[in-house]
This record gives sequence, C-alpha cells and structure tokens, in this order.
Amino acid sequence: MAVFSSQPGPRSGGTGDPQPGRGSTLPAGFASPAQDYYDAGIDLNRHLIRDATATFIMRVSGDAMDGAGISDGDELIVDRSLTPKDGSVVVAVLNGELIIRRLLLTGQGIFLHADSPGSTDIRVPDPAELSVWGVVTRCLHHV
Amino acid sequence: MAEQQRFALVDVNSFYVSCERVFDPKLAGIPVVVLSNNDGCVVARSDEAKALGIKTGDPWFKLAESAPKLGLVQRSSNYELYGDLSSRVMQLLARFSSEQEIYSIDECFLHLHGSDAELRSRGTDIRAAVARNIGLPVCVGIGATKTLAKFANRIAKQNPHMGGVCNLDALDPAVVDRIMSRVPVTGLWGVGSRNGVRLNALGIESVADLRDADPAMIRSKFSVVLQRTVLELNGTACIPMETESADKQQVLFSRSFATPVVTRESMRQVMSLYAQQAATRLAKEGLLATVMTVFAATSRFNDKAASAPSVTVRLERPTADPMVLTRAAIAAMDSQAVDGAPYAKAGIMLTGLSPAGAEPVFDLFAAGPEQKDIGPLLAQVTDKYGSASIGLGLAGMSSAKPDWTMARKFASPRYTTEWSDLPVVRAV
Repeated sequence: MAVFSSQPGPRSGGTGDPQPGRGSTLPAGFASPAQDYYDAGIDLNRHLIRDATATFIMRVSGDAMDGAGISDGDELIVDRSLTPKDGSVVVAVLNGELIIRRLLLTGQGIFLHADSPGSTDIRVPDPAELSVWGVVTRCLHHV
Repeated sequence: MAEQQRFALVDVNSFYVSCERVFDPKLAGIPVVVLSNNDGCVVARSDEAKALGIKTGDPWFKLAESAPKLGLVQRSSNYELYGDLSSRVMQLLARFSSEQEIYSIDECFLHLHGSDAELRSRGTDIRAAVARNIGLPVCVGIGATKTLAKFANRIAKQNPHMGGVCNLDALDPAVVDRIMSRVPVTGLWGVGSRNGVRLNALGIESVADLRDADPAMIRSKFSVVLQRTVLELNGTACIPMETESADKQQVLFSRSFATPVVTRESMRQVMSLYAQQAATRLAKEGLLATVMTVFAATSRFNDKAASAPSVTVRLERPTADPMVLTRAAIAAMDSQAVDGAPYAKAGIMLTGLSPAGAEPVFDLFAAGPEQKDIGPLLAQVTDKYGSASIGLGLAGMSSAKPDWTMARKFASPRYTTEWSDLPVVRAV
C-alpha cells in the first residue's frame, strides 16, 4: 500500500530510525554519493501512519461533520487498530453503511454525534450493536 | 507442559468474499460469490452461498437468473484489493513468529512456541489481531508438522465452537483418531485425487488409514513425497518452511537466503531471478497474470533494521512475459525496500491468473501462425518509414496505451490501491 504514492517508508510497527540511503526520490539516485547526507524530505507515511497494516484512507461524502473541520470530499486517515474513546471521531457501521461520527460515551448512553447544527445524534441502544470500523486520526481537508 | 515448537497454519475464511465485506458491510450475513476472470464462474463463496448449494466452478450464467430470488450477490474478482489485503495480513502475521512461509494469497505457516495453553492463546491473539487491524476472519490450525497444522486448520473451520483455533495436541487423541477415520484421504494436504484413487485401491481410504500405512511401502508404491505425508501425520516434521506453489489462483516463489541480501542491487537481482522463474511457471501452466505482489522481510531476530516491504501492483495487461514481470517486480520492490537492510527472505506472488489465449486482440501481432511473416514485413516498413514507425506489442503501441480490461462487470472499487476508488464514508 503506497498511501501517498511514491515515497517509500517503513511499514508496520514503527520499524525504527530513518536509515541513510532510504527514500531517494529517484530510483536511479541510490548510487549518489550525496545519498547519505540527503534527508529525503518529509515522508508522510512515516509521520501520519502508525501501523500500515491497519491504516486505510477513506473519502467523506456529506456535511454532517463540518463542525469538526471535516468536509464533503475530504480524505481521512483511519486506523483500525486504535480503541475508540469518548470523543473519538470514528467510522461506524450503521445499517450496512459506513458513516463518520463523533463517539460520545455518556452516562445517558452511547451516541454517534454529528458536528454540525441541525444534525441529530444517533443513539446506540445497545453497546453490543455498536460496530466501530476504525478511528479517524487525520483529516486531509481540502482548502 | 514443556516448551514445544509447533507449526501453525493461518488462513483467511472465504478470503475473496471476506475482502469484499470489509468495505461493504451490506454483504455481511448474506450469500455472496466472487466470479473468475471475465465473470465466467464462481471462484469463491460465502458460507451462506455454500448453504444454497452453490459450488466452486458453477458458471455464472446459470446462476444469474435465480440470483435475485436467492438474495445472492455477485462480485467480479478484484485482485488489487485481494492482493493489498493479503499483503497486510502477511505483514501482520510475521509479527507473531520468527519464521513465516507465505503459502498462498490467503494462508501462511508460522512457527509458534510454548505450552498448549500458550499456543492456544497465541492462536486467539492472531485471530483478534487480523480481525481488528484488517477486518478479516481467520482460522488457526496448530500441529507438530505442516501436514498436521493444515489438518488442524480444517477442524477449526468445521467446528465453529472451537473459536477458530485448533491445537491438535490439546485435543483428546481418541477424538483426533475419530476425525481422521472419518475424513477421506483426498481431503489431506498433498494428496491429489489421482493418488487418492490408487490409495483407495489399496484399502487406504481415510486419513487414519494413511497415517497407519507403512511408510516404506508408500515410498515404493507411490513417491517419497507421499511418504513424507505419512511421516508428517505421525508427527515427524519433514516438510521445511520454504516452498514454491502454483495452482489456479496464484503462482508463488518465496525463499529464505543463505546470507542476507543487503544492497538494492542484489535485491534487484533476486527480484529478476524470481520473476523469470515465475514467468517460466506461467508459461508451463499456460497462464497469464494480472496482479503481482512482491515481498521481503528481514529476520525477526534483527530488531535494529527490521523491514518487511510488501507491494501489490496491477500489471498493464495480463502477461507471462519475463521482461514485463521482471521490470514490474524490480520497480515494486524498489518503491519500498530499504537499501542496507539485511533481508532474510523475499518472494513474488502472481494472481489474477487467466489462461493464455483468452486474451483479446492486443496480442494479435505476437501470436498465431502468421507470426513468421511479421519479421520481414516489419523490416520493410521500418526501412521505408523509420524505426519508430511500427513495432510489436507494447513497443509498437506504447503511445496509444491501449485500454485493455477484462470483463469485470460486478467489480467493487479498488479501495486500497487507487486514489480515485477510496471507500466513501457518509457524513450524514
């Protein structure tokens, strides 16, 4: 999975420190003597992806999360391996569909909250019925 | 219980269907089939589709009419998706073992250590990790040999109350014996139907019969390969953790290196060698491939420079051309392999296989009895109009970039490998 196209990066599980010689922007650049001194620029895979095996990119459709800075057409980084907490923005499975909402774990129950005026919260009557597909860690907002 | 080394066989349940379900939750709990190249016939079924009596190999045109009535949903093969999710599963599983052998797109062997209780909990951890990280269901079979691990996996699959994990040694030996007496010998890994017929003629009908057969007799009447199976059934591990395999679904080459492969240049040589071996295998089987996965891994014992690249790419068109495969393998590996990391193993897997000869128009130039006339014709044209005026295959049509695609009428998006195909999450 090359999430951000061309730049190579360490895959799963934080495989340690950057190593000299990795990440030349040109395949032919490996023989360059300057290689060891060149830092290869910023690799978004490295900084934005904790575990490549569990990370997926999704695209938003709809405005219900505008209040959280997540707009129609934005791309999301979703990490399936994280445990959702109160306040996490999650991708949930509802009626066979993937939806994005903020998870609220309150004394009054579990809610899937929409961060925009006019949207109503979805109450999850039974915790066993809550199916969280993954936790949203970043939004690539189009500005 | 003392420390023991065991083999585990981990495989994904109904792999293709399960991949489709990850991004389309509507498919959960309903009958789903995945169709072969060109939507010809059924290659994968959900449990619900199996319950309807649908068989692997059933032609789609026979099912199409009754599908809506049955609530049956069909998908074309989406090898990009399956390849990518397979890469993720294999990378994740590698974290559980010092040794991993990727056996096919959806199964691998691992070495596990520990007491029976520890082995069981390791199996449970594996299942939970794959379900959480990737959303796929797996079963884990554990045994003293690869053959027994495979057998244990089958038991885990067929007995849902086991929770998807079966450690053969932890079962009551009388129960194991009963199961082995019931399962026909052809249900065993490594026993083909032809050997099956000949074994039956000798009165060897069940797995238990083969286990109790005389290994020397099996060797003299059959082969050393089948003798190994007998020994493995009796707990003597004799099939090592390396393999190459080829079947209707994939061609796979994977090897551990005697000394680590460290430089980019030598990794390119490895990729080149494997790609050419894979091309030879394709040619021998009369197959073309559409999707390639390359992978490599450093030794698990080398924490400092751990690296486990795994890349899935779609080939421009179905091919068995060693040049095309070599270029693709090198480029894919280059995109992720770390120069300087000591890789202990690497491999290539080809999927999306179709019979050669089924490919349309594009290879018009390259095949057929007219071929011998093409050479002189080309020479005449190039003499007259210049060397760039005409050429064979890709070389001749590279600027036109033919939009060759297989019929994939029911294909899901390439959710994980194409930016334009990302799964959509609704904010409503």
